[in-house]
Amino acid sequence: MIDVQNVVKAYDSVKAVDGISFQAKPGEIFGLIGPNGAGKSTTIRMIMNIMAPDSGSIRLDGKPLAEKDKARIGYLPEERGLYKKMKVGDMLAFLAEIKGADRQACAARADEWLRRFDLLEWKGRKIEELSKGMAQKVQFIGTIAHDPDVLLFDEPFSGLDPVSQDLLLESMLELKAAGKTVLFSTHIMDHAERICERILLINKGKAVASGALADLKRRFGADAARVEYDGDGAFIERLPYVKSCRSFPRWTEVELDGPDAADSLYRDLAGKLRVRRFELLEPSLHSIFVRLVGGESEEADRA
Amino acid sequence: MHKLIAVAKREFKAAAANKTFVVMTVLGPFLILAITVLPTLLNNDPKIASSGKPVAIYAEREDAGAFLASAFESQKIPSLRADDAARAKELVLSGEYAGLVEVPARWPDEEARYYSATGTDAALFGTSQGVLGALATELRVAEAGLSPEAAARLLSKPGFRVVKLGANMSEETKTDRDFMAVLFTALSFVMMIYMTVLLYGQMIGRSVVQEKTGKTVEVMLSSLSARDLMFGKILGLGLAGMLQYGVWMGMGVLMIKVVGPLFSLSLPAAVTVGNFGWLVFFFLLAFFLYAAGYAALGAAAEDEHHLGQLAWPLIIFLVLPMVMISTMIMNPQSPLVLGLSYFPMTAPIVMLVRILVSAPAWWEVAASVGAILLAILGVGFLGAKIFRVGILMTGKRPKIGEVLRWARLK
Repeated sequence: MIDVQNVVKAYDSVKAVDGISFQAKPGEIFGLIGPNGAGKSTTIRMIMNIMAPDSGSIRLDGKPLAEKDKARIGYLPEERGLYKKMKVGDMLAFLAEIKGADRQACAARADEWLRRFDLLEWKGRKIEELSKGMAQKVQFIGTIAHDPDVLLFDEPFSGLDPVSQDLLLESMLELKAAGKTVLFSTHIMDHAERICERILLINKGKAVASGALADLKRRFGADAARVEYDGDGAFIERLPYVKSCRSFPRWTEVELDGPDAADSLYRDLAGKLRVRRFELLEPSLHSIFVRLVGGESEEADRA
Repeated sequence: MHKLIAVAKREFKAAAANKTFVVMTVLGPFLILAITVLPTLLNNDPKIASSGKPVAIYAEREDAGAFLASAFESQKIPSLRADDAARAKELVLSGEYAGLVEVPARWPDEEARYYSATGTDAALFGTSQGVLGALATELRVAEAGLSPEAAARLLSKPGFRVVKLGANMSEETKTDRDFMAVLFTALSFVMMIYMTVLLYGQMIGRSVVQEKTGKTVEVMLSSLSARDLMFGKILGLGLAGMLQYGVWMGMGVLMIKVVGPLFSLSLPAAVTVGNFGWLVFFFLLAFFLYAAGYAALGAAAEDEHHLGQLAWPLIIFLVLPMVMISTMIMNPQSPLVLGLSYFPMTAPIVMLVRILVSAPAWWEVAASVGAILLAILGVGFLGAKIFRVGILMTGKRPKIGEVLRWARLK
């Protein structure tokens, strides 16, 4: 279990991480979520003991991280890099070797992953011959081939095509099922929604919200509805509890001013139109995030 | 420790399975050949260096012409007599003749001349000058009416000998040729240390910078400590250097022990197996000292260009002994040379030259080696600290003050 308590790290006068606390447990995927520059990578680097926090504590299974613990951690840094002149197979063997892992078992696992990622025929080629996405996948394999208990993935999906992203999501779910502690960071909410049980939303170094994703969604309530109907729905927009209304060719999305308004909307629609479908929408992680940190983070998100 | 060795193995492969390395290793023996066999071959047989073209002799005095011809013949320099000076000059210019010696009728009161297309064929005009000089002396002695005995006595040089005192009062006669041989050997040894230390130092510096620019550093540090990474790199490249030196020394020893005796070549006196041993020894010391320095600079540098700028103080210390090489050989006991042989940055090269030239006492060598070892420890320690902090710094050039602050961090 990774236990981060009240960690602070400042660069010059800017606080990159300002009092962050969370726990990531075995058998779950924990998401560290926030826009670029929120302090996600700094937090992960501190967990990895690559840089020291100014204050606060970071513990792995109750103890501060020691040099020997590095063997049981797999770390995929945001700044990817492999030795360009090395062959894929040699590179993976080297990464396993500096983890002090069993060579043969690692090689077998690495081969299995190479096969899954369709890279087995590239094993004898040099890293510099690979495409950027291929090199990313090789690096992902290098992170997990020594079979670590704890996995830290910093923006693991960036630079991958959608098919590879799905493959990676699937792999992460497998790692979770195998009882590993998986911590990953992303600024793409959709990825977090698909695989995380619990998340920590951070912005400008500070925690904005945390907890189980399902709880968060419940807390922020279902305050939008998707309706399909026959008839003239122009009046919907003018209903007092409707904040906004967006029409799509097949349905209309209605944003309400609170979860209670859903009942009123259903009654009002049923009286005037032939409703074919009425569905309450859970707020997306994105909309929760936007509501919590406001427009400034949206700008950061686009940046 | 096995992580350090894994890094060392990788660095060794990266350095040794590389074109530059193979070329250097293959060319190295030719350098050894050049410093061992070539000079002796040239000394043994001047014909190797000559063009084989005849020297023309146009002498208006028959005695001078005959004397020159027989002198050339005894030195195996081809010569012929010319009847027409103007025609002979044309043939010199067109390359038929190596040169033309012209002796006028009123010689030796009038000057003799040597014509050549280059004016730099010192062996030929030197011989001509010497031969004519001896003849002129003989003629003038006869003119003065001296007896041959008196003339011989007048002309004989008093004896003079340069003796090198060895450790247990052993004596060894030295000549100008010996000075040149020592100079030549020392220069070659110093060049080899300079080139290899610079090459390997820069390789380490670059290898460290590339961890940063290639973004591999975080992955590395997630598996091992900065110290293991740095010393692994130094060890790996050090082994590559030793392999290279091993090949070269093998060739050198082969030259001394097998090729030399086989072709009965007299090798320069300073080219001995023992001196090769000192060369490897001081290479290793210089290598580890400069490697630690370059690793620290590599960690502090932003990119390879910046590393080049940071490295100039190291290069100055490497170049200094090279510039002073003839001073060191002529005055190995001067305070400056003595001082530099204990100053760690210059000591590996300067002490090596002192050992080649004079016989420093064992404690002098020990003191110098001790100073270098202490410096290696110091620079290694400091380097590891700068490395620890600097290796993660990217994107912004650290100032000197900042680098020194890193070194003080615990």
